[in-house]
Amino acid sequence: MKIENTKAQMRKGVLEYCILSVLRDNDAYVAEILDTLKDAKLLVVEGTIYPLLTRLKNAGLLHYRWEESTGGPPRKYYGLTSTGKEFLKELTYTWEELQTAVTIVTTQKNKNHE
Amino acid sequence: MNKTVNINLAGIFFHIDETAYAKLQHYLEAIRRSLTNTQGQDEIIADIEARIAELFNEKIKMERQVIGTKEVEEVIAVMGQPEDYMLDEEIFEDEPGYTRPVASGKRLFRDTEHSYIGGVSSGLGHYLGIGAIWVRLLWILLTILSSGAFILIYIALWIFVPEAKTTADKLSMRGEAVNITNIERKIREGFDDVSGKVRSVDYQKYGTQAKSGASSAAKGIGSVILLLLNIFVKLIGILILLIAGTTLIGLFIGLFTVGTFGLFDAPWADYIELAAIGAPLWVLSLLTFFAIGIPFFFLFILGLKILVKNLKSIGTPAKLVLLGLWLLSVIGLSVLGIQQATARAFDGEVVLTEPLPVTPQDTLYLSMQSNPQYSSEVYRGDVKITYDENDNKIMYSNNVRLVVKSTKDSVGRMEIVKLAEGSDSRDARNRAENIDYNASYDNGKLFLDSFLTSDIKNNFRDQEVRITLFLPEGSTLYADRNISSFHRGSDYYGNILKYNSYENYLQITNNGYICEDCETEDSEDWETDEWENDDWDNDSREEEEDTTNFLEVREDSVKIEIDRDGIRVNDANSKQVRINRNGISIQKS
Repeated sequence: MKIENTKAQMRKGVLEYCILSVLRDNDAYVAEILDTLKDAKLLVVEGTIYPLLTRLKNAGLLHYRWEESTGGPPRKYYGLTSTGKEFLKELTYTWEELQTAVTIVTTQKNKNHE
Repeated sequence: MNKTVNINLAGIFFHIDETAYAKLQHYLEAIRRSLTNTQGQDEIIADIEARIAELFNEKIKMERQVIGTKEVEEVIAVMGQPEDYMLDEEIFEDEPGYTRPVASGKRLFRDTEHSYIGGVSSGLGHYLGIGAIWVRLLWILLTILSSGAFILIYIALWIFVPEAKTTADKLSMRGEAVNITNIERKIREGFDDVSGKVRSVDYQKYGTQAKSGASSAAKGIGSVILLLLNIFVKLIGILILLIAGTTLIGLFIGLFTVGTFGLFDAPWADYIELAAIGAPLWVLSLLTFFAIGIPFFFLFILGLKILVKNLKSIGTPAKLVLLGLWLLSVIGLSVLGIQQATARAFDGEVVLTEPLPVTPQDTLYLSMQSNPQYSSEVYRGDVKITYDENDNKIMYSNNVRLVVKSTKDSVGRMEIVKLAEGSDSRDARNRAENIDYNASYDNGKLFLDSFLTSDIKNNFRDQEVRITLFLPEGSTLYADRNISSFHRGSDYYGNILKYNSYENYLQITNNGYICEDCETEDSEDWETDEWENDDWDNDSREEEEDTTNFLEVREDSVKIEIDRDGIRVNDANSKQVRINRNGISIQKS
């Protein structure tokens, strides 16, 4: 059991939720999603996101369209499907529950130690 | 100073340093491996390549700048290590799976960028580490030698070998060559690995690491065994491929030569036409082609799959279609077979009896007679299609059987039995009636046709003519040599002739004959020795020696000549004795 793996697992667990959240209001292409996530320090390296995006897309939560870019290769713009929106609502609810639960558990634990 | 390579990354053109190229290649390959079990692997790789292209694009300040190791390392730092690409399912394992040994990084793809037709040759060239031009020359050579059938294998490879689409594909296409040197190196590496591990065990014999060292040693041996096993499996794959491939090529050539009917004059083509199988010849050959070819085709794919790991599947629908086609062909052939069997289920015969004016004092000369228009040979066992004098297509067969029997009647007779098979008794009888067969008797000489003919529309249904000669006891038979193949094997029918009963005057007795002009048994045997050398057993060989003694010329003035025409004895006083087919003559000058 390596600490890096545990950390990565924790981060990856919420990553899907965060990606969906980034796309809640407007479509974005990969670099934009990456920028947001990196600014929030949720993501250290970019590699993780590609399998996740493909998986979300294959699950029908995301759709994409191609857009030409100046100078670079064409870009994939991702957006939420209606299923994706439903999914995001569920996740938001679950996240809030989880947050409360974790707060309760961790503070209680601290109390015991005191 | 470094050479540069031109690469196409997600449709964007880059100059890249050779060492940087190798690094990037290694990186993409590692990512591909860490994604082996992930869905949509190709799409993810394409996305990653696009992103790398984008990052390179940002880093390049001017158009002619070359991407170096520094840029690649920066990009890798941004993108993350291969294990970062793994999804959460895989990360639960402490040891990332990407460290597993890969026997060869090289895979077979079609190189469509350097293709003449489908990129098969250049892909194979990369795979085998030889120039595409040699592969192409080999294709051309094999195609000419196999009269075009090798094109099929080319097409098969075109269909089943995937095209190198992404950069990673192209990299693994050009990767390490799978040749003997490399295999040898792999094995040596494996051994070095093992010995290294063993040594480390020695050093840390009492250390806590001993256990893990031993297990790595076991792993090292395991990987060597695995490699040897791999080579063995590949050899089996090559064997299967060769067997299936040659069978398919053979079938294909067969299909075309039979299908076009006339390219080659196959000897059994006549027979198939005559047998009237109920389907045209091309249908029959196509059914056979499918019934035999499809299983071998699957075998071929199996062999190919063993050899080439990333082979495309032909797809379930194609498999089902082939399976269906095979079943239909097998059913079709069975139906035709049953039809053919029922068409021959019944026997029919027609019997004609004609008197032979042969009395016990007469001599009958017997000979078979062929029709030079149909065949120059007078032997049994030939069926073919030919044309009669009016240019009608007819069936010609040598299936004529001769039986000679003795009779107590004072006059001989001849019985001609015409036999055929058919789907019912009437059909068989009709067919038997439609057999044309002639025999002519003239002044002590009987000429029997050595063949039978029938109209082509009667089809081949084992038509046969059986002639039985009833000769009165006491009469004499003199048979030509050419009858011998027609009465052979007729003992079952009560034939009294022996295999060598020709060119002798034979007096018919009750169920047998006495040879009148075979001076002794010995001389008869001696004469046949000319023809039947192979059949001699030891006893007759001794007799042969006796004969030589017997025939010893005791007077210098006497000359004896023996040949196939008969025996001639001359002496100095011009006396001559001749024994031949015309009888015995004694001359005195």
